[in-house]
Amino acid sequence: MREILRNPAGLVGSVLLVIVLAAAVLGPFVAPYDPQQFHAASRLQGPSAAFWLGTDQYGRDLLSRLLNGAPATVLFGLGATALGVGAGSIIGVVAGVAGGRVDSVIMRVLDGLLAMPELLFTLLIVTFLGGGTSQAMLAVAVTFTPGMARIARSAVLSVRTRDYVQAAIARGESRAWIVGREVLPNALGPIIVEATIRVSFAIMIGATLGFLGLGAQPPSTEWGLMVAEARQFMFRNPWCVAVPGVAIAVTAMGFNLFGDALRDAFDPRRRRI
Amino acid sequence: MTAPQDDRPVLQISGYSLAYETPEGNVAALEDVTLDIRRGETHALVGESGSGKSSLAWAILRYLPPNARETAGQILLSGEDLRDKTQAQMEALRGRRIAMVFQDPSAALNPAMRLGDQIAEVFMRHRGMNRDEAWAAGQAALEHTGILHPDRIMRRYPHEASGGEKQRVVIATAFACNPELIVFDEPTTALDILTAQQILDLFLRLRAESGVAALYISHDLGLVGRIADRVSVIHNGRIVEAGPVHEVFSAPRADYTRDLMAAVPRPEMRIAVPDPDPAPPLLRVSGISVSYGGPGRIARMLGSKGQPFYGARDVGFDIRPGELLGLVGASGSGKSTMAQVISGLRDFEGEVAFGDRRFRARRAFDRDYRRAVQIVFQHPDASLNPRQTIGGILSRPLRLYGLVPRAQVPARVRELLETVLLPPEFAARYPHELSGGQKQRVAIARAFAAEPKLVICDEITAALDVSVQAAVARLLTGLQRRSGAACLFITHDLNLIRQLAHRIAVMQKGRLVDDFDVAEAESPARHPYTRALLEAVPLPAELQGVPAP
Repeated sequence: MREILRNPAGLVGSVLLVIVLAAAVLGPFVAPYDPQQFHAASRLQGPSAAFWLGTDQYGRDLLSRLLNGAPATVLFGLGATALGVGAGSIIGVVAGVAGGRVDSVIMRVLDGLLAMPELLFTLLIVTFLGGGTSQAMLAVAVTFTPGMARIARSAVLSVRTRDYVQAAIARGESRAWIVGREVLPNALGPIIVEATIRVSFAIMIGATLGFLGLGAQPPSTEWGLMVAEARQFMFRNPWCVAVPGVAIAVTAMGFNLFGDALRDAFDPRRRRI
Repeated sequence: MTAPQDDRPVLQISGYSLAYETPEGNVAALEDVTLDIRRGETHALVGESGSGKSSLAWAILRYLPPNARETAGQILLSGEDLRDKTQAQMEALRGRRIAMVFQDPSAALNPAMRLGDQIAEVFMRHRGMNRDEAWAAGQAALEHTGILHPDRIMRRYPHEASGGEKQRVVIATAFACNPELIVFDEPTTALDILTAQQILDLFLRLRAESGVAALYISHDLGLVGRIADRVSVIHNGRIVEAGPVHEVFSAPRADYTRDLMAAVPRPEMRIAVPDPDPAPPLLRVSGISVSYGGPGRIARMLGSKGQPFYGARDVGFDIRPGELLGLVGASGSGKSTMAQVISGLRDFEGEVAFGDRRFRARRAFDRDYRRAVQIVFQHPDASLNPRQTIGGILSRPLRLYGLVPRAQVPARVRELLETVLLPPEFAARYPHELSGGQKQRVAIARAFAAEPKLVICDEITAALDVSVQAAVARLLTGLQRRSGAACLFITHDLNLIRQLAHRIAVMQKGRLVDDFDVAEAESPARHPYTRALLEAVPLPAELQGVPAP
């Protein structure tokens, strides 16, 4: 951890993440207004003393909506990533450890899935499952699975031929021990790092789906949906698009920088003894 | 050239110091290094890993990493300070006035360019030739290295050439523009003994013809004794001793040089356990073949006629209880394949008989066999799981085979550490906190923890420094004496194996070509390949008759 904070990108990423996570945990409690409350007299206003970040087309307080939307947005990113990384890692580890024909069949199927652009694939799944937050999360998770499987497999493959794994095989260790104690702990680094970077993609795809009306449904305060709803009023009050947009960008950047720093910290060539 | 110019050293380094900036502060890599090389002279720089010898090479070529800080001194090439040169000036200089030959020719050559283009590039860049002239000049240069069919080699890509051919190409490239100075960074370490021998002969011939000044970096004292005029011994970034080779080697003044000299293996100084009593063999392998890359079932149905490559073919030998059998051969000769077969890591055809049990397939090896046969690998960095403590690593065989009651495992781990001369506190450390030699001791302790009857040592000293090598070899025979285990010792170091082994088996291209008692190594009845191997190794006696300490 100290390694990450010493890296400037890692420090910035960590600070951004702390802000975003704090908003996600405390946001709904510190929000000054009810996020759905209409203030008919002050619609589409810029920042003022009463409404720090301005109001949207119905006169709802943008800051309150933003803070209330934070848990949903961040949870969406984390949840989709956790599902996708979990499923992908299991498939990848199975393929990498089994090798041979099992590996070939699994990887060719995944290659087929990877051939489709990520967003198109998500859209296809959402159309199939129907709109809604949990469907969108599932769709993003499914999209992430092939890529993660590929990364997990290559991590396992690079560890599998190491001498300490060979030594374990020569000792007559069980397969469970070899996978659980010798291979996985050493293959986990790249998987964790990729997962952190993917959280930001998940948030952005989630926001995109929200924007297209395929993710969260109104009157949800999900950030992507906020951008979509406010789009027509962009020229009358740019704040109602900019505020959730910047929030998405900051969160994505936080996870991304943190993931980059994490990768550097895991890289033994950069790690000091 | 006029006389005064001849007098001036080609390379003159004086009071040069270099440090690397790290978050923990500056780490000195070189301190007050001074050395001169004159025209036609070969100056050897001898030192162990981490001594700073490669840092010096990079400093001369002005190719230092961004965190390098040069704190003092000068590096003069024929009187011009290289430290004052700009990037562009250095680029014009490299290849034309200074060249470098690297350790590993396959890493030094661009895999996506034909070998001919890589030589021609030098002529085009520094001699301003057009492509055809450069190609012809390159072919002439290559022909000069004594390579067969230079025209064909020129058209090949690096992966289509052998290690020796590639190193000849690198050397031809280095000599291409008649540079004043060539830096050789262990140019033969990555090659087979016999190929290395040819490369050295080539070096000596080209040096005599061109009169180039050479800085020859090496850790091999025997080799340095053969080729160098002067030698500098470097230790922890300081030159501890320098002088003409025969003076330094016959009367070393620095303690460190004496230690280095003492560590060079000498065949006549046996450190093996006494010859074991005649007994029926402990392990007998017969008719072992291992093939790679044969066409699969579907490929055969589709008419593929691809021939499999044999890593080992019809190999048979036996090991008696308590004996140390040396298995030698060039890289790719199948030595390690045999280690993998016997330790149950590779599928094979043939039969492995152990005691009174016979195994005909890898899957037939059970836990009893695997306990009795342990393996130690070449690279200590790779053979210990970086996420487990030394204690955890050493306790694993004890727990797996149930050798000691659970409560006594920590005590036994401490005991094991003591038998390999490591402090018991190491049990709580992680592998990366240990040096290479210490890690290899842990790997040996892990093998002996299983109380095996046979230990396979796959080049266990190859990745270690000379002084550490000797200690590890002594440790191994000490453990053998105590436990009575037999040992299959795989190596390419013939001097070392003649110290250690009772019998030696020689492999060439996957086949066993010779198998003899160590006392008969010099007998005329040896296979010609064995004789060639033995002759190619510089004997320590060539260190100008240095008396053994």
